[in-house]
Amino acid sequence: MTIATSLLRWASIGACALGFSPAALAQAGAFGGGFGPPLEVVKPPREFANSEEHYRYLLEQAKGGTKHTLATVPRWDGLWQPAGNTHLEIFIDGQGFSGKVREGVLTPAYEEAYRERWREQTELGQVNYDRLGHCEPPGYPRILLEPYTHEFINLPEISYQINDFGPSIRRTYIGKEHSNVYGTHSWYGDTIGFWDGNKLVSNTKYVFPADFTRWSPMTSNAFEGVEIWELKTYPGGVERLEVQATFYDKNLLLKPVSAVYAYRRATEMVANGHRVQHWECDQTNNAFLDDKGVTNFHLPGEEGFNDGRGTTLFPHLPGQTRDPIYNTTLGH
Amino acid sequence: MKTIHKLLPAATAAALLATAVAQAHHSFAMFDREQEIVKTGTVVRWAFNNPHSWLYLNVKNDDGTETLWSFEGSAPPSLLARGITGATFEPGDKVTFMYCPLRDGRPGGAIGWAQLEDGQYVNPADGGCAGNEQSINRWKEWLAKGYTSKAEAEKAR
Repeated sequence: MTIATSLLRWASIGACALGFSPAALAQAGAFGGGFGPPLEVVKPPREFANSEEHYRYLLEQAKGGTKHTLATVPRWDGLWQPAGNTHLEIFIDGQGFSGKVREGVLTPAYEEAYRERWREQTELGQVNYDRLGHCEPPGYPRILLEPYTHEFINLPEISYQINDFGPSIRRTYIGKEHSNVYGTHSWYGDTIGFWDGNKLVSNTKYVFPADFTRWSPMTSNAFEGVEIWELKTYPGGVERLEVQATFYDKNLLLKPVSAVYAYRRATEMVANGHRVQHWECDQTNNAFLDDKGVTNFHLPGEEGFNDGRGTTLFPHLPGQTRDPIYNTTLGH
Repeated sequence: MKTIHKLLPAATAAALLATAVAQAHHSFAMFDREQEIVKTGTVVRWAFNNPHSWLYLNVKNDDGTETLWSFEGSAPPSLLARGITGATFEPGDKVTFMYCPLRDGRPGGAIGWAQLEDGQYVNPADGGCAGNEQSINRWKEWLAKGYTSKAEAEKAR
């Protein structure tokens, strides 16, 4: 190892340590917080009846948007990781997991459901079950804060937002209208957008009911969002991709709410050899919802155990183990 | 060669500073995080897989038989940031480790810290058990006094 390489490694680890500093816990459940200056929510200039009205207003303000080419479209290449968010502050009064559910934000049915979820989090230390435990995708809006790495690939007519955790790809169709020819909703719904200079403005509709996270409220099938994405730089070389989001949901919210999400470059993970792989949740996940309504695990030898490093459905053929380097078995 | 040796200084720094932010795709409600127990075992498999890593070890029982124990750790991307890789634990390695058990008593739990054969501590923990610097330092004192569970240590206070 050269001195330069060694220094780079130590610098990256130092940055990593900062990323996990107590400041990161300032916003409980806000993965990666504490990187750069405090996140500030920018609310819409006025109230809108729905997300589409909000989006049309922004499009009008941008005079139809900027028509980028491949040479001019803002590039956010590389791997990114979460750098905090403010979504929990919408729903909770007080600091992090010691706070209380804020009144006047959620509709009665959703507030009651959320109070139980928050009680589990604060009294038991954990929400009893997370829907991702049986491998559901994060969905929208949860994809915005998922941990580990993200990739953002901008092309003139489409932007791809790729999530490492519970692998997902979200697409923003630039300069298009909404389309829902399947006649149903989906995990990421339908997202259209436009460029306003170096800002990507988008509108998402037709998403499945999901949640913000397991310690946050559930969302309904009327959930919609307007986002403004912008890469910002701050003193000290801090580079942060920020997403100002406003959420609409007539079943969940008494009125629209706004939050900001952020990402920073995943320099440390890349330096330590990380590359995105497909998450094989179906083969490697052993979490399940037990008869008490609590998360539990299938262990080796038990019915339902998934041996992620075992063999395929064709064990009699050579080379069918998923543990080719060590070739281990769990003795069952 | 285990990558951990190449990355050890950096890995230790990162691991010791890492906090137990629960980045899991599931709840940790099945683990009793109030209990911390130390055992020694022989690695059967280190499944450095998403969505969670799992360390499988054979642990000797008092009657001389062995039981396969299963311990959940954090997801690989998170562990890579701490310098832990798919080669950190290899089959046959003897490892001393601290864990928080499954509430239902089956042979498994959430891993806290682990001590490799060369004496180095690593932190493969997720939100189910504490494996950070504070935990390692507390346990170094307790291990020196011969305790193998948090209950033993607290009872002696």
